[in-house]
Amino acid sequence: MQATPHIMSRYDKDLGKLKRRILSMGTQVIDQMADATEALDQFDAKEVDRLVAFDRTINGMHQDIYTRSERLIALRQPMALDLRQVLLPINIAHELERIGDHAKSTAKRARILAEREPSQPACDKVREMSEKVQAMLAEALRAYDESNVELAATVRETDLTIDQINKDVFAMQVATLSDTPEDVEANVHLILLARGFERAGDHVVNIARHVHQIVTGIDLKASD
Amino acid sequence: MKQMTITPAAAPDPRKENPAMEQAFIQARGADVFYGDKQALFGIDLDIEEKRVTSLIGPSGCGKSTFLRAINRMNDLIPICRFDGSLTIDGQEVYDPAVDVVALRAQVGMVFQKPNPFPKSIFENVAYGLKIHGMTPSKSEMADRVEWSLKSAGLWDEVADRLDQPGNSLSGGQQQRLCIARTVAVAPKVILMDEPCSALDPIATAKVEDLIDSLREHYTIVIVTHSMQQAARISQRTAFFHLGKLIEVGNTKDIFTNPREEQTQNYITGRIG
Repeated sequence: MQATPHIMSRYDKDLGKLKRRILSMGTQVIDQMADATEALDQFDAKEVDRLVAFDRTINGMHQDIYTRSERLIALRQPMALDLRQVLLPINIAHELERIGDHAKSTAKRARILAEREPSQPACDKVREMSEKVQAMLAEALRAYDESNVELAATVRETDLTIDQINKDVFAMQVATLSDTPEDVEANVHLILLARGFERAGDHVVNIARHVHQIVTGIDLKASD
Repeated sequence: MKQMTITPAAAPDPRKENPAMEQAFIQARGADVFYGDKQALFGIDLDIEEKRVTSLIGPSGCGKSTFLRAINRMNDLIPICRFDGSLTIDGQEVYDPAVDVVALRAQVGMVFQKPNPFPKSIFENVAYGLKIHGMTPSKSEMADRVEWSLKSAGLWDEVADRLDQPGNSLSGGQQQRLCIARTVAVAPKVILMDEPCSALDPIATAKVEDLIDSLREHYTIVIVTHSMQQAARISQRTAFFHLGKLIEVGNTKDIFTNPREEQTQNYITGRIG
């Protein structure tokens, strides 16, 4: 259903501002994940410290979106599409905040892995996962911006690829640990990194579901 | 003149055993209303279920009050007003020329936007309805009936010690509940409410809304309201009217969370339709 403008134009401005905050938070989470993944290859202690500290900024953005949504609910008493446009950004911001947590966790593991020699093929797979999750998130945000349910459905399907790579990494690392058990810790960290990106992919899927619900009013999780 | 005889509400409800038997208590089919040459309602098909609250919403001039007033033939009081189509209550045609309109209005009571107590005592305000409808029990029975009605309207505790005082000495919210007591005193099956809270403050509104919620156990209630929040709070079904047409009717939770029609969505969210 195409949304026409509100009679109260200020309402549209407030909704637009809320949407821009979500898009901004999402973009910064993508950057945080990209930078954390780069730190796996080219370790820079200062950069890792910055990435870990940046998580507080992401948490602040989450809180800001919650406050804005709460204020809109209290002042505008939204219904139907409006209610979903105000309520579901809280959920989307929560998912973004959790993805930000995974990015921070990736940065911390970069610090540990910098002093070890993890399996290179597995590292490549993890980097591939990160890039796919970043692309998925960018598409999910575009679906949100454009109220595009078809694009949101594509994002949900892409997650199957992420899940498969996670399984591949796990199998590779089990084999590596059996064949060359010299650096168990580094290779376990790679399994955990892959699992983190797999979880991040799940959060992106949730964002795509929220987009579907905003546009159609149907909660896919409830109807599954 | 033919009397409206409506099945007592206390009778067993076979619909609970067999939902397929469900038939609307109030049923409009192809209902048109004209004010002279001007058509105000266009072919309204609407089912209103028994012992539920149905809200009629829509912008000013959409026909919701016209439809409400068609249910108990209040529009008959307007000489140029004409009704075409069918409107039944419990299977009986309201616009059958043989229907006794006074008896109909006892069965289908009405509460208006502005409280309209008679210039009489609180007691007489409630007893008056019983008297004009020929329900004149003994003095003690009358007192019991007035007490029951005031209790039904949630007003008894506030007026029990001053029943002889003028009805218009009460606050606006109390006056509206007095009007509701007067309506329920004659044991109607249907209560029509035309923006009953529009002149009340939020506390008085909350009391009337709470009352409406408790009354639906015994009465079929149809309410016209301009407050989306009020419709959402108190009704189980909501019908949206626009330019004299019924655009959408459904469960209130569906209408206010995910309406089927774009016109409904635009109206309830305050958009330019």
